[in-house]
Amino acid sequence: MNLCSRLFGQLGFGGFAVGVWETLYLTFLSTAFAYLIGLPLGILLCVTDAGGVKPIPWLNKAVGFVVNILRSIPFIILMVALIPASRAIIGTSIGNAAMIFMLVIAAAPYVARMVESSVKEVDNGVVEAARSMGATTMQIVLKVLIPEAKPSLIVGAVISTVTVLGYSAMAGTIAAGGLGAIAVTQARPSNAQDVIWLCVALIVVIVQGIQEAGMLLAKKTDRRITARKHKKRRSDAV
Amino acid sequence: MIELIHLSKQYTSKAGTLTALSDIDLRIEDGAVFGIIGLSGAGKSTLVRCINLLERPTAGKVLVDGEDLTKVKKKRLLEIRRGIGMIFQNFNLLDQRTVEANVKFPLELVHTPKEEAAARAAELLRLVGLEEKAHAYPSELSGGQKQRVAIARALALSPKYLLCDEATSALDPNTTASILALLKEINQTLGVTIVVITHEMRVVESICTDVAVISESRIVEQGKVSEVFSDPKSEIARELIIPELIRTVRSSGGSKLRLIFDGTTSDMPIISALALTLGVAVNILYADTKNIDGKAYGHMVITLPQEPEKAEAVKKFLTENHVSFREEI
Repeated sequence: MNLCSRLFGQLGFGGFAVGVWETLYLTFLSTAFAYLIGLPLGILLCVTDAGGVKPIPWLNKAVGFVVNILRSIPFIILMVALIPASRAIIGTSIGNAAMIFMLVIAAAPYVARMVESSVKEVDNGVVEAARSMGATTMQIVLKVLIPEAKPSLIVGAVISTVTVLGYSAMAGTIAAGGLGAIAVTQARPSNAQDVIWLCVALIVVIVQGIQEAGMLLAKKTDRRITARKHKKRRSDAV
Repeated sequence: MIELIHLSKQYTSKAGTLTALSDIDLRIEDGAVFGIIGLSGAGKSTLVRCINLLERPTAGKVLVDGEDLTKVKKKRLLEIRRGIGMIFQNFNLLDQRTVEANVKFPLELVHTPKEEAAARAAELLRLVGLEEKAHAYPSELSGGQKQRVAIARALALSPKYLLCDEATSALDPNTTASILALLKEINQTLGVTIVVITHEMRVVESICTDVAVISESRIVEQGKVSEVFSDPKSEIARELIIPELIRTVRSSGGSKLRLIFDGTTSDMPIISALALTLGVAVNILYADTKNIDGKAYGHMVITLPQEPEKAEAVKKFLTENHVSFREEI
């Protein structure tokens, strides 16, 4: 009781509520935009691979190269490097909007690799069967690869979201918000250890929530499970 | 009609060139159940994939109803593929779709109206005997049921041809028999020409009308099943078709005769008659009959008498009684 009142005394309950909200929206919005770019890129990487549905070696190598470069730059350095680009595209290099821009650029190549590995798990035989039926490359992507990889894609999205949440803690450096910013820019200078630990605890809770909900969703959508579970699910549905 | 003309397929990699198919000539008449048999690694899976150009041959022609698939445009190739169904050893069903949705899949690819697709799927599931599994997922089915779904799916676009790549190799003997019976029925009632790739004799024996034996990238023997099976000529065909007989022949010395009964031979007890007439005792090393296309075909291996004149007499007797035979060493 004593601890809580002291914390809220310093920052206010509202301060933490805003922190949680900003962390959530930085994370989910950035991940969503990162998927808009990363999902097609990941599929492109998989499809144009030597053993893919439509091998295009030069394109595969070029995209793979860019993805690798972006993935090898530490996020904090990438942020600094992206300041001019953010100013040009978003109109500002500080605040939540700029932070989302930087998170998207950092996360998209990561997402692309996650998607690529999920889609590669789809059995080649199934793709071959689709080809034998006269499916076009686009039909194979939309009707075979993505639906068949769905459970794995969801698991990948959970991992990506948690990774983005980790990155989002650096928001304080460009005056954006969230729990990370509270811990780094507000609590650390005054050495408020308890505030830092409360931020950590809240982030742990958020990560757990994302993880559990995501895994549940992945399991629920996966049809490759035992007959008993299916019967149960179908009778539930009826 | 499917014709393969001087077909070759090589795989080139840094390690060197691997020849999978070499100068293949095949003609698959409409209405046939054409078996392609060979040991694993002989090139038979590559061969069947060349028929619908899942594998592009390095040289040669693939003629489907006179059209050379290696020359047609991409769009036309996709159209032609829709007229050639295919089933696989591992079934290759879409795990995230129900049985019904799997059967509808090829119909979706050509934008068949929903009601029409549903009706067609129901009809096909009835054909393969799985109406009650329409809303099940593949993971809930047995291997035989999965292959039935795959067959229904392959037939969705009413193909003229059906390619079967080791379709029964992952199934137990009883299930194999029921799948083969279904394929035979499809051939006879729907008139679908079937190409069967297999390493199992009994598959060819039970449903095929024609057979080609493939070994080390080449067709070594082909013809009507009744001809090839009653008298396989190439070494590899003999090993595939009459393996015990070959083992018996190899493991015993002396000169031997292989007698071939093709179902037309009279009911005369030929060996007894031979012994009584010529006064020679013959030793029977091996005897077996096979049922092909409703006719009994038999092989028997006997040892020839040591004396040349008696051996000649035995051969003369068999010839006079219309029993075909080959000398085996």
